[in-house]
Amino acid sequence: MASSQLVKVLIVDDDNFTRRIYKTMLFRFCFEITEVEDGKNAIQQFVDGNEYDLVLMDKHMPNMDGVEATRTLRGMGIPVKIVAITDDASSKDTFMDAGADKFLLKPLTFSMLTDILKSFNFLN
Amino acid sequence: MDYVHLRRQAASLRKGLFDQGYLDEQFYQLEDLQDDASPNFVEEVVTLFFRDSARLMANIDQALDKCVKDFNKLDVYMQQLKGSCTSIGASRMKTECTAFRECCRDENIEGCMRSFQKIKREHSVLRQKLESYFQLLRQAGPVECATRPNK
Repeated sequence: MASSQLVKVLIVDDDNFTRRIYKTMLFRFCFEITEVEDGKNAIQQFVDGNEYDLVLMDKHMPNMDGVEATRTLRGMGIPVKIVAITDDASSKDTFMDAGADKFLLKPLTFSMLTDILKSFNFLN
Repeated sequence: MDYVHLRRQAASLRKGLFDQGYLDEQFYQLEDLQDDASPNFVEEVVTLFFRDSARLMANIDQALDKCVKDFNKLDVYMQQLKGSCTSIGASRMKTECTAFRECCRDENIEGCMRSFQKIKREHSVLRQKLESYFQLLRQAGPVECATRPNK
């Protein structure tokens, strides 16, 4: 887990309102949330020394897509839990091969999110 | 002002949006996220959706205007738009986005153009209806005794 007991989540999605939805869901758990618009900025967060417990990763984004970002993070040795969330069902294998821990199809519902958080033991 | 009447109008408008297929159950998810901490959450995300989707649609318009059609680019834009529609529950728009993407795969530019016109119409109608709905809600004011809307 990232230092301190607060679960730190990085939302990576180029849609403003998708990030807003995820943030509202995650606020219910009092998590610490950071959001970025693309894979490149997601990588930069880790390069800058930030630590996260969970990344919610979209696929189709400008500058760097979610698969490439996932692959890059794993290549950097970053062990953060990565959940791919996309409406592109065909990208599941690619995402998992790149090192994602879970793959979910959009739309993300609150119950789906809760199940994921439980599976990672982020809910006490 | 007859607040009960306004609330009934809002409820009727909302029901119509589901009955006529403009919205699907994903919209309920958004409504469920609205609470005292985020009292205007649904309207906020709907506003963000229409702002972002308008930008995407302008990109698609530009791409369709070009002499040389880049079907891959069009498909990427439309996939983004479809993803947005999915997240908000904009069911009719989502269906038209799927049709557009099929035309891209077939490199059928006329089909893309027709489909895009439908998307624009659905976008416009949904926007108008949701704006009317939220206006009614604002006029009706907060409900003293919170009741779950009929689903």
